[in-house]
Amino acid sequence: MSRPVNRVPPSAEAAPSADAAQEARRWERETRAPYIVSHPERRAPFQTQALRWPIKPLYTPADLEAEGFDYQRDLGFPGEYPYTRGTQPNGHRSSLWTMSQVTGFGRGEDWARRARYMLGQGLQGLILEHDLPTTNGYDSDNPLVEGEVGRAGLAIDSLEDVERALDLPFEKLRYLMSVCNAPQPINLAMIIAALEKKGVDPRRFVLHIVNGILIEYTCVGRYIFPPAHGLRIATDCIEYIIREHPNWAPISIISAQLQPAKANPVQELAFSMAIALAYIDATLARGLTIDTVAPYFHFVVNVDMDFFEGICKLRAYRKLWARLMKERYGAQRPEALRIRMMTSPTTIALTLQQPLNNIGRLAIMATACALGGAGEAMTTPLHDEAHALPAEEAIRVGAALQHIVAHETGVADTIDPLAGSYYVETLTKQIESAAHAELDKILAMGGALRAIETGYFQRALGHEQYERNKDIEEGRRKWVGVNHLVLPGEQRQIEIFRADNRTEEEQVARVRALRARRDAAAVSAALEAVRAAARAGTNLVPPCLAAVKVYATHGELCDALREVFGVHTPDSQLTGV
Amino acid sequence: MDVAAELLAGSVAAGARAIRWLDDGDPRGRTVLERIFAATGRAHIVGITGPPGAGKSTLLDALIMEQRRRGRRVGVLAVDPTSPFTGGALLGDRLRMGRHALDAGVFIRSLATRGEAGGLSRATYDACAVLDAMGFEVVFVETIGVGQEEIDVVALAHSTVIVLVPGLGDEVQAIKAGLMEAGDVLVLNKSDREGAEQTHRHLEMLLHLRQDPSQWQVPLLTSIATRAEGAAALCDALEAHRAWLDQTGGFTRQSERRAEQQFQRLVRALALPRLLEGAEDLLTLVRTRALDPYSATERLLQRQLPRR
Amino acid sequence: MAAASARPLRVLLAKLGMDTHTVGITVVAHALRDAGMEVIFTGLKQTPEAVASAAIQEDVDVVGVSSLSAGHTRNLPKLARLLREQGAGEKLLVAGGVIPPEDLPLLQSAGFARIFTMGTDTREIVAYLRDWWAARAANDTPS
Repeated sequence: MSRPVNRVPPSAEAAPSADAAQEARRWERETRAPYIVSHPERRAPFQTQALRWPIKPLYTPADLEAEGFDYQRDLGFPGEYPYTRGTQPNGHRSSLWTMSQVTGFGRGEDWARRARYMLGQGLQGLILEHDLPTTNGYDSDNPLVEGEVGRAGLAIDSLEDVERALDLPFEKLRYLMSVCNAPQPINLAMIIAALEKKGVDPRRFVLHIVNGILIEYTCVGRYIFPPAHGLRIATDCIEYIIREHPNWAPISIISAQLQPAKANPVQELAFSMAIALAYIDATLARGLTIDTVAPYFHFVVNVDMDFFEGICKLRAYRKLWARLMKERYGAQRPEALRIRMMTSPTTIALTLQQPLNNIGRLAIMATACALGGAGEAMTTPLHDEAHALPAEEAIRVGAALQHIVAHETGVADTIDPLAGSYYVETLTKQIESAAHAELDKILAMGGALRAIETGYFQRALGHEQYERNKDIEEGRRKWVGVNHLVLPGEQRQIEIFRADNRTEEEQVARVRALRARRDAAAVSAALEAVRAAARAGTNLVPPCLAAVKVYATHGELCDALREVFGVHTPDSQLTGV
Repeated sequence: MDVAAELLAGSVAAGARAIRWLDDGDPRGRTVLERIFAATGRAHIVGITGPPGAGKSTLLDALIMEQRRRGRRVGVLAVDPTSPFTGGALLGDRLRMGRHALDAGVFIRSLATRGEAGGLSRATYDACAVLDAMGFEVVFVETIGVGQEEIDVVALAHSTVIVLVPGLGDEVQAIKAGLMEAGDVLVLNKSDREGAEQTHRHLEMLLHLRQDPSQWQVPLLTSIATRAEGAAALCDALEAHRAWLDQTGGFTRQSERRAEQQFQRLVRALALPRLLEGAEDLLTLVRTRALDPYSATERLLQRQLPRR
Repeated sequence: MAAASARPLRVLLAKLGMDTHTVGITVVAHALRDAGMEVIFTGLKQTPEAVASAAIQEDVDVVGVSSLSAGHTRNLPKLARLLREQGAGEKLLVAGGVIPPEDLPLLQSAGFARIFTMGTDTREIVAYLRDWWAARAANDTPS
C-alpha cells in the first residue's frame, strides 16, 4: 500500500529569507570551504562567457529574495503580460516553431531556378540576399565594385534584374524576405513594380523587408547616408508598408548581428531595444499609433555557447519588450505587447578546427533556444557555414538537429521548464535590470541615433571585441579546437566562394545595355522627382516606384539620394580609444 | 633621396619622410629643417579645435573641399593622444577626409602626441614647417581642445577656429576653458540640431561681452558639416582674418611668436635630459634629504651652465 | 618625453573591398596600440590607390590590409605594385582575413611578407612586427 509522499511541513517555508540565506552561509562555511582547500577550483574566477559576470557556486531561494523576485510580477503565465514564460498560451505544445535554414546564395536566374526547385519541394519561404555592390548602393559596372558583383548575393541593378529573380510560381510562395538595408526604398520599389508587372496579388503572400539600417551603422557597416537620413529612409519604408500593404512586414531588428560584433546580452538587449524605439518613435511621428505599429516589429535573436546566458537573454527579451510597450507607450493590444522573435544558434561559436564538433555545439545551442523559448521560428546555421557555402549533408544535419530537439528531448513538451530555477531566475532578472539601466542611459543621451552618431555603440562593441579576444588568447576562455584539445598539425581548407567572372561581365553588359535603350528624359525627370522628395521630406517610396518603372538604375537612384543627403564617413570604426 | 631638396620641390614622399624624422627625433630631421627653415613662414596655419564629437574632422573635410575649389593647396595635421599606458595610439582622423586621398593638392598626416602634455606633439611645429616649405598655402592643425590643449594650438596657429555643438553645455565648457579668448573664429556645428538657437544666442552674448573694438572681431558662424554647409563662410572668415593679420602686422608677429615658442619648447625638451645626465649624485642627495631640491638645482646649473 | 631612440612603429591598417566586417581589424588595431605602436586606420571600402597614397603621406613602416571578400587576388597585388612604383617598396606588407592557402604563393610573390589568416593570435602578429622592425633598425642606413 503506498503512502502519501511526505510534504515539507509549511512552517519550514514560512520564513525562507532568514533561513535560506543563513543556511547557504552555513553550508559555504562548514561544507564547501573545507572541501575546496583540498580540491581547489578549476577556474578562477568562474564567469559567464559574454557578460563576464561571476558565477556563484550555488544559487538558492536567498538569491531570488535578494533580487526581489516575485512570481506574479516577474513571470506571470504564458500568453499573459509580461510574457516572460512565453508569448503563446500553450508554448510549443500546439505547434512547434517554424524550422528554417539559411538557404545559401544564388545569382540572378540561378537563384530563381533554385527558388523554383525549393518551392517545388514544399518550402514556402525564401530569402533574397543582395550582393555587396547592391547593399552599398552601386551599379555592377561601377569601378569601385570590381570583383564583388553577384558574390555575396544577387546583383540588382534595375527592375529587370528583380523581374528575372521573381520569375517564380507565386501560388506556392508564402513568404519572401529581402535583405537590403541602406537602399531599402529602391529595393522595395523594384519588388512592388515587379509584382505589379506579373499581376501578383500582394495580399496573397508576405513580403518581409529587413530594413535594418541602424544596426548597419552600429556594427555591420553597409550604410550609405548619414544616420539621421538613414532613419528617415527606413521610416518611409515602414510607413509605406503599414499604409499600403498592411499584411507585409516592414522591419526586422536583427539583434543577431550585434552578437557576432561581441555585444554581450545586456548590450544586445539594450542596443536592439533602443534601436527599435528609434524606429517606433519615428513611425509614431508619422501619425500612426503604437497599437498599429508595435505588432510590425520583429526580432532575430541568437544564442551563444553559454547555455544560461542564452536562455535568460531570451526570457528577458520578452519581458523587456512587453514592459516598454506598456509603460513607455501605453500599448493596449496583446499583439503590441507580445514580441515577435526568431531564434538561432550563433555561427561565431563554431570553429574552423575539428568541424564535426560544431554539430554538438549547434545541438546545445538549439536546445538553449528551445528552453529559452524558440519564438516563432528557429534557424540553424550549418556546421560548415562559417567558412564555406553549405554542403548537402550539412543541410540535412541542421534540419535533423531541430527535429531531435523538438521530438526526442522533451524540452518543448512543457512550457518554460527552467522557470523557478534559482540560477535562471536570478540571471534573467539581473540581465533584465542591467539592460533596462543601459537602455535608460542610451535614451538619456538622446536615443539610438545619438548613440550611433557619437560612436557610443561602436566604442562599446570595440571594447568588448578586444576584451573577448584577450579572454581567448590568454586562456581565460577555453575553446575546444582553438586553445584547448588542439589537434596539432590540423590543416583545414577554407573554402571561399569563388567569383565567376562571367557573371560579373554579363551583369555589367546588361546594365550598360539597359542604360542605352531606355528613355533618358523620363529617367532624368524621375531622378529629379526623387531628389525633390528627399529634400522636401516626403515619402521616398512613391517617387522611387515611378523611377524604377522607367528603369532608373539602383546606382543612379542611390546617387540621387547621395546628392541630397551626403554620405556617411564615421570618425572611426575603431573604438575604445 | 635628398629629402630636403625634394620636399622643397614638392615631393610627398620626401615631405612625409622629413616629418617622420622630425617626429622621431632622428638627427637627419634636424639637418633637413636647417635647410628648409628659410623657406617657411608663408603658409597660413589654422588651428581647428573643440571638444570631441563637435564634428571637427567632418568640418575639416568640407573646408578642404572649399579650399581646393579656391585653388589652394592644403596640408592637414591631425593630432591624437598617445596612450599614457602603452605608448601606442589609434589615429583615425583621416577617415573623415578619405575622399581627398588621391588629390595631389592635399597632404594629410596623422600625429600622436607621444607623451607631450597638451594636445600637440612637439613634432607639430616641425611638421608645419615641412608642409609650409613644400608650398602648401594653408595648413590645418586639428586637435582635441578642452582647455590646456587649445592654448597650445593658439600659440602655433595664425588663426584658431573653435568648433562647438549645441546642447552639450559646450558653451559653459568653453568659457571655463578660456576658449572664448583663444578663438579667432567660432563655429557652431550641427546647427540643425535641437537647442542650436539657444546656444547661438548664448555664444553671441558671450562674444559681445569680450569683443575689443580695436582688435579682430570674432565672427560666430554656423555650419552643418555633414552637408558642407558653412564651409564657404568659414573660408571667407579665415581669409578675412589673414588679411587683417597682414594689415596689422599680426601675421609676422604670430610667425615670430611661433618660432620663439618652438625654440623655447625645444630648449625645454632637449635641455632637460642633457642637464640631468650625470646628476645622479645630486638626485641621491635629494632623495635622502641631505640636500633640498632648490639647492640641488642651483648646484646642477652651476655645474652644467656656469655663468661666465 | 619620447627619447629620440624610441621610435614607435607606425602601421597603416585598411580594409579593401566592399566587405565591412570590422571585428578582426578592430582587435588587431587595439592589440598593436597596446603594444606601443601608432596605428593609422584609413577605413573601409578602400581602393588600392587610396591606401598607397595614405601609406606614403603617413610614412608608415607597415601596411596591413584586411580582405574578407574574394577580391584579394587582384586588390592586394595591385596595392603592392602601386607602393613599389611610388618608391615605397621597402614598407612591410602584410595581410589578413579569409585568404585560402592556395592563394598565398601569389600574394607572397606579389610582395606580401606574411599573411595572417583569420583567428591568428594577435600576440603572434605583434611579435612578428617587432622582430621585423628590430632587424630593420639594425640595418637602417640613412637614405
